[in-house]
Amino acid sequence: MWSYEKRLQFPVNIKRTDAKSAQAIISQLGGPDGEMAASMRYLHQRFSMPYKEVAGLLTDIGTEELAHLEMVGAIIYQLTKDLSMDEIEKSGFDKYYVDHTIGIWPQAAGGIPFNACQFQVKGDVITDLYEDMAAEQKARSTYDNILRLVKDPDVCAPIKFLRAREIVHFQRFGEALRITQDNLNSKNFYAFNPSFDRCND
Amino acid sequence: MSHKEQMFRDIGIVDFVLVDLILYLDTHPFDVDAMEYFNHYSKIKNQMMAEFAQKYFPLTGDLAESSKEWSWGMAPLPWEGVC
Amino acid sequence: MQDYRFDEHFDNYPIAMAYIPWQHFEQIFDNLEEAYEIGTIFPELNKPFTGRRCVE
Repeated sequence: MWSYEKRLQFPVNIKRTDAKSAQAIISQLGGPDGEMAASMRYLHQRFSMPYKEVAGLLTDIGTEELAHLEMVGAIIYQLTKDLSMDEIEKSGFDKYYVDHTIGIWPQAAGGIPFNACQFQVKGDVITDLYEDMAAEQKARSTYDNILRLVKDPDVCAPIKFLRAREIVHFQRFGEALRITQDNLNSKNFYAFNPSFDRCND
Repeated sequence: MSHKEQMFRDIGIVDFVLVDLILYLDTHPFDVDAMEYFNHYSKIKNQMMAEFAQKYFPLTGDLAESSKEWSWGMAPLPWEGVC
Repeated sequence: MQDYRFDEHFDNYPIAMAYIPWQHFEQIFDNLEEAYEIGTIFPELNKPFTGRRCVE
């Protein structure tokens, strides 16, 4: 179960509103490579993991991703809370505003709402770990793209932090895959699904 | 930075060290050097959390000490920025 | 195009599988404030982004 610390994992103190940046960054909130997808992916995959170390890692990374989800929400909240009607009209933010005012609603930058199709839980440890490694790289690439777009140092600081975490997570999932390999027969890693098959012919 | 702001930031830093060590230890469960670092910073964090809650406001619900006013509820919201 | 570079170690592993090298932690950053801003306590995991479009 979860405990909550009433602070952000890394500080977010943005002084300038910027609807354009907010529209791009919202993909890291509700988009397919975003923090909500990441946390839901890992926290759901952990149930069917055959090895305690892997399930434990998924729990801990999934929990950290919830903290990142909170940070991205805070970034968008601070970028939009003082927007004038003029800024809303001129920036293209009006389409989001009409449905949500300046509420925080998880969607991708293109408008597709967060949904479970954005992640997979295959129930096969090797497959799920590959999905996780890919997810971390997709998130890292998205943060690269955001860093090219955004110039405000108050925004760049938490974004750089979040990007660095993705690289660390990638390494950990890679190590979880090595642990998985050590538990399987290297002559054929794909002989059976250790989460499901009870006997091996 | 005020003492409160400095302490708040220090808690963030120490907790971050613990998080990075937790993930490392999850895949390296027998690394004694990492465990030593972890134990060291874990003690520091617990002390700082208790001290901060006592001086300013609780950062977790279970550290709330309230007499006239519910201190957990009165704690500032994290997304508003600035401690 | 370049011919692939054979690595003594990894290319002798079973094929049809990916392998990430193990991290062996030696040191953490001395300056923890700096580590916090960077986003990791491990110097070997610090891989900053420096790309720029550079096309007018």
